[in-house]
Amino acid sequence: MMDAQLLVSGVIFGLSIGSIFFLMTIGLSLCFGLMRIISLDQLLYYSIGAYLTYAVSVAAGSVWLGMLAGVAVAGLASLAVERLVFRRIYERELTFSMITSFGILIGGVGVIKFFCGVVPRPVAIPTLAQVGIAGTDVPVYRLIVIGIAGLVYAGIWLFLNRTIIGKAIRAGIENVEHVEGLGINVSRLFTITFVIAGTLSGLAGGLHAPLIMVEPQMGLEVLAFAFMVVIIGGLGSIKGTLVSAFIVGQVVSLGSLIYAPLAQMAPFAIMLLILLIKPTGLYGSALLKR
Amino acid sequence: MCVSGISSDTGVSMVNALRWWWGILLAFSLLAAARLVAPLPFVIEVIIFSIYTMGCNFLLGRVGFISFGQPAYLAAGAYGTAFYLFYFGTDPYVGILVGVLSGLAVSAIVGPLFVRLRSDYFALVNLALAGIIYYLMQKVLAGITKGDNGLWFLTRIASNPVLDLGKPGQFFIFAMLVAVAVWALYKYLDDSIFGACCLATKLNEDKLEFIGYSNYRVRLLAFVVANTTTALAGAMYAVYLGFVSPEITSPHRAPDPVVVTILGGTGTLYGPIVGAVAYTGMKDAISKVIGNWELFIGFLLVFIMLAGEKGIWGSLAPRLEKLFSWRKAGTAGGDGGEARR
Repeated sequence: MMDAQLLVSGVIFGLSIGSIFFLMTIGLSLCFGLMRIISLDQLLYYSIGAYLTYAVSVAAGSVWLGMLAGVAVAGLASLAVERLVFRRIYERELTFSMITSFGILIGGVGVIKFFCGVVPRPVAIPTLAQVGIAGTDVPVYRLIVIGIAGLVYAGIWLFLNRTIIGKAIRAGIENVEHVEGLGINVSRLFTITFVIAGTLSGLAGGLHAPLIMVEPQMGLEVLAFAFMVVIIGGLGSIKGTLVSAFIVGQVVSLGSLIYAPLAQMAPFAIMLLILLIKPTGLYGSALLKR
Repeated sequence: MCVSGISSDTGVSMVNALRWWWGILLAFSLLAAARLVAPLPFVIEVIIFSIYTMGCNFLLGRVGFISFGQPAYLAAGAYGTAFYLFYFGTDPYVGILVGVLSGLAVSAIVGPLFVRLRSDYFALVNLALAGIIYYLMQKVLAGITKGDNGLWFLTRIASNPVLDLGKPGQFFIFAMLVAVAVWALYKYLDDSIFGACCLATKLNEDKLEFIGYSNYRVRLLAFVVANTTTALAGAMYAVYLGFVSPEITSPHRAPDPVVVTILGGTGTLYGPIVGAVAYTGMKDAISKVIGNWELFIGFLLVFIMLAGEKGIWGSLAPRLEKLFSWRKAGTAGGDGGEARR
């Protein structure tokens, strides 16, 4: 059977992957919860964050600075997309936003290809230090990733529960018309939520970049996993996204210790199982009918 | 709308039969005529692509399911055919049959689970399925599928004295016949009670349930029919190209059928043909100029959606209908008027 060292590093690996999945899919979930859109272009902001991290870390020599730039540019890009495209389609049905955002994703991948070429690029890991946990050496960078995801979750929780804008967003998730009736500018609320979502996706890309190669198709590569995370957790639920991101992360990580090729398939099997039991996911609301 | 054979008067039923077939025959004679001016690979690509799109078009336009997972079923058909031709037999007709049956099997297995879902979950689950089949074919089953290299079996395809599918010229005739059959089937489905039920499940599922039909069964049947059509296109791709690689189901290809559906006009009968001609033509022209196809296709999709999502045929058909009925004074308003609303 597995020895303890392998197990510890496997769990840490799974937690860090789960953290990145969480940051990547929380945008999808937030947008669905408030605006009732499926914003597949979050995966584009993920790629943008990763590419900016690469570009700035090569130019300026600091990966952290690159991540900061990536987060900022991803936020700006999401603001532009929201203003140009999504503003016009909030009223439309769900499939409409899905097709349109997929178009943005594919077009954005084309733009990235146009500027950066198709060659995969490596990003240096910001810190190579290792730390011993239960007699196993674990890379510090993965712990940092987990820590950032924890901070983001706490930050979102505080934002939604302790600030007036956050409370308005939560009320909007329950019922948009009532919030509008109270005189709150819903359109601005939508913009804020969308930019937060895009920024977090950019952060996910920046944090993921040193762990993988940066390439134009990277957004499409994680697409299947992003979907599985939101489906298992239930669309629109932040807690569900957190739980299912860590489930999927652990399944991928520990599964690959047992039998590598099946690790990619296992989350899909779990997804089917959960859909069989509860068609709206673990924490999904049954609010929205077809 | 009346289908031939209902009327007792043979003359009337003849006219009805003509009216029924007229649009399909006209569309495909135009395509056959295109063979004279356009290169053969282009026309064959258009035909197979329009069959591929037909399933997606039916799901989106009639049942209201948006499926980004069509490559999964395309791959089911293509790999069914490829496994047969690579490991077992040499007869391409049997190969296509095996491909269609494997597509039927896959959609019958996942269908009961998928069609229960809300449309948003449905789309996500389908795309996840395509991603998983991609991994399956590229990595997990690499021993059988030869991974990224793909299966090559062009030389194994047996020739046939009647219609030799190994030769592009004769494959073209075969593809044409299959396409006419597919269109006739979908036209029949549209006019049937089943077609009406599909539209009803999209527009108002509660009412359909109230009348006494099961939404679940209608959706399941529509799902299986549409995805078997997609698998047929995959099987034809396999025989035509003589090789299959995991690239066929990669998530990058997922928007293709949706784009073509919307480009042509969602839910219209001839939309897939018009869309496939426009899409393949633009793809050929544009990849020669800028060599970066995604850039264009993505923004084209956004543009069509924002411009009113009616597509080429969707905005052309009413005008053609008007023109046609004005000329013939409404005697046999076949062409555009026969298109689905």
